[in-house]
Amino acid sequence: MSLPSVPAIETRGLRRVYKTKPKPIVALDGIDLEVAPGEFFGLLGPNGAGKTTLIKILTTLLLPTTGTARVFGFDVARETRQIRRLMNIVAGGEQSGYGLLQVREQLWMFSQFYGLGTREGWQRVDELIEAVGLDEQRNQKVSSLSTGQRQKMNFARGLLNDPWVFFLDEPTLGLDVSAARSVRELVRTWKDALPGRTILLTTHYMAEAEELCERIAIVDHGRILAIGTPDELKHRVQSESIFRLEVDRLERGAGALAGLPGVVSASTATDGTTPAPDGVQTLNLILDNDTALGGVVTALGSMGAQIVALRKSEPSLEDVFVELVGRGFDEDGAGSNGHHEAVAR
Amino acid sequence: MEPTVAAFDRHALRATRSRRDGWRDTWRGYRTAARLGWRVEANWADPILFLTYSVAKPLAGALILVVMLEVVSGGGADEYRAFIVVGSALWSFVIAGLSGLAMSVLDDRERYRMLKYLYISPTSLAVLLLGRGTARFAMGGIGAAVTLAVGVLFLGVPFDPAVMDVPLLLASMALGLSGVIALGVVFAAVVLQTRQDSWSYPEAVAGALFLLVGAVFPLAVLPMPVQALGLVTPLTWWVAAVREALFPDAVSSIAGPGSLYTRLTGVTEPDRWVLLICLLATTVLVTLGAMLTFRVSERRAKDRGLIDQTTGT
Ligand SMILES: Nc1ncnc2c1ncn2[C@@H]1O[C@H](COP(=O)(O)OP(=O)(O)OP(=O)(O)O)[C@@H](O)[C@H]1O
Ligand SMILES: [Mg+2]
Repeated sequence: MSLPSVPAIETRGLRRVYKTKPKPIVALDGIDLEVAPGEFFGLLGPNGAGKTTLIKILTTLLLPTTGTARVFGFDVARETRQIRRLMNIVAGGEQSGYGLLQVREQLWMFSQFYGLGTREGWQRVDELIEAVGLDEQRNQKVSSLSTGQRQKMNFARGLLNDPWVFFLDEPTLGLDVSAARSVRELVRTWKDALPGRTILLTTHYMAEAEELCERIAIVDHGRILAIGTPDELKHRVQSESIFRLEVDRLERGAGALAGLPGVVSASTATDGTTPAPDGVQTLNLILDNDTALGGVVTALGSMGAQIVALRKSEPSLEDVFVELVGRGFDEDGAGSNGHHEAVAR
Repeated sequence: MEPTVAAFDRHALRATRSRRDGWRDTWRGYRTAARLGWRVEANWADPILFLTYSVAKPLAGALILVVMLEVVSGGGADEYRAFIVVGSALWSFVIAGLSGLAMSVLDDRERYRMLKYLYISPTSLAVLLLGRGTARFAMGGIGAAVTLAVGVLFLGVPFDPAVMDVPLLLASMALGLSGVIALGVVFAAVVLQTRQDSWSYPEAVAGALFLLVGAVFPLAVLPMPVQALGLVTPLTWWVAAVREALFPDAVSSIAGPGSLYTRLTGVTEPDRWVLLICLLATTVLVTLGAMLTFRVSERRAKDRGLIDQTTGT
């Protein structure tokens, strides 16, 4: 089967301004993006970067302020019918659903809105219920589902029309480790079953993006800061030196090192390693070059901290992110590495 | 549980999605939305309670008015009793029709948070909302029928099948329903724009209209400008035509001493043709207006991101 020659997603100078008071918010500030059919594409960015806004525009929920956006060549503002047939969306962290209905019934109704025949609809629903692993809940009321089960139902809904483009807005948000893993498994299996299926995923979990996405765009303040394969992105910081440092008795944490000469950034590692006991911290250090390390070691000594382990490491996606966005996810959020553990394997 | 590849593969790249949207799809979407509405609105957990509520409300309304009438007039006013029973029976219907679509916008957006998923399906929003509103409409219809029956059986409303004007009744019901639905679409278009909690708007406005259209008292008692407003509303002509069809002796809600209609035309009792033609004209007008309003509203909602906004937490 030959794939369509038009891009699955194409935006040109896409801008979206929310007319809020006292001053308007520029959620998207000139996004130029092209995603090929069959790509698994990721959007990474801090809270408020504009990821959801972009997805809303592409799913015909919201109009662009200026610029154009197309899905398989169809314009989001004018050709909504066509787009709606060939895309679908699943968002995470939602409590949506008609609580009174049974899972199977609600899904069937949506199959009808997508134009499936009556019997065809039931058949499709039963297949999807099995595929997403909701067999036992098929006749349960929607209101009685757990968060994870609800998300599985949401996926079944999203797959009813077999989308060419599947938008996933933080699909594993709020799920436990195993539920998140089975969602990722599901997404990958679905995508691999047929060439041409395209996915646009937003996530806050670096490991999730790295595990799933073939290409990633890092966005902030409504702009794309960098775009490429995970490896390409990591090469961007290859010219710098990255160290992993385990240190004891460092009172002020990563912040204590930030201002030192040659230090590009210092942050608490959040890749899911179990925290060591006795106040030992693991830090990620990005330095201009290896020689800056001497100064760091000296400084640590003078602060009374003790180096437990020091290792030069390969850059991670998070290093790229921290360098581009200027802050880790933790710094405006929970401040622990707890919410990253969902993707630890 | 490992997902099965086969289920994903079989429906691959369905031919249907290149198909144009046909009437069959629209009809299927409407039917399903009606079913959805029926399942979601009707309290099936307690059918008795649900039935009591959908019937007791209009019935109680009619009873209160009839009793008030008896007290005020000292009994004996048969034509007025007929007037009131028809008015309030139709009104339960009108409230359901007017507020039904708007309520489903609010319910689906705020409570169930499904409006956006309905919206991004290929079925058009207007069709979905019409379907969603149908259930409320049907319940209103049951209430209206019961109220009429009780009026005839127990309240001494003089009903004589021999004088009933069946063609007029059928024609005015068909037109009147279209008019109600068109107004319901206008309400839905307005509610789509609201940011605040607006659950009480639709019923409140429908209640206010009740007073404008001659449902409980003739237009003649209203100030002239308000009467003019009443005369351009299809509901006014609908209520009058249904009354004329069922109870030819009932008092006219439109004409009579002190009415704008009589002052303009010199006629004290509009005949069935006048009623029908005016009903037709106002219905067409309101329907066109509704289509325009809805289109503008949907566009604006999409521009402002109102389709998936929720005001709650
Ligand atoms: N309906 C709205 N009205 C006004 N401003 C909005 C609206 N929706 C989003 N915004 C603003 O637009 C910006 C981008 O929001 P958006 O939801 O797209 O970000 P995001 O990248 O998805 O963030 P997150 O990671 O937190 O989900 C934010 O500053 C947000 O406050
Ligand atoms: Mg978001």
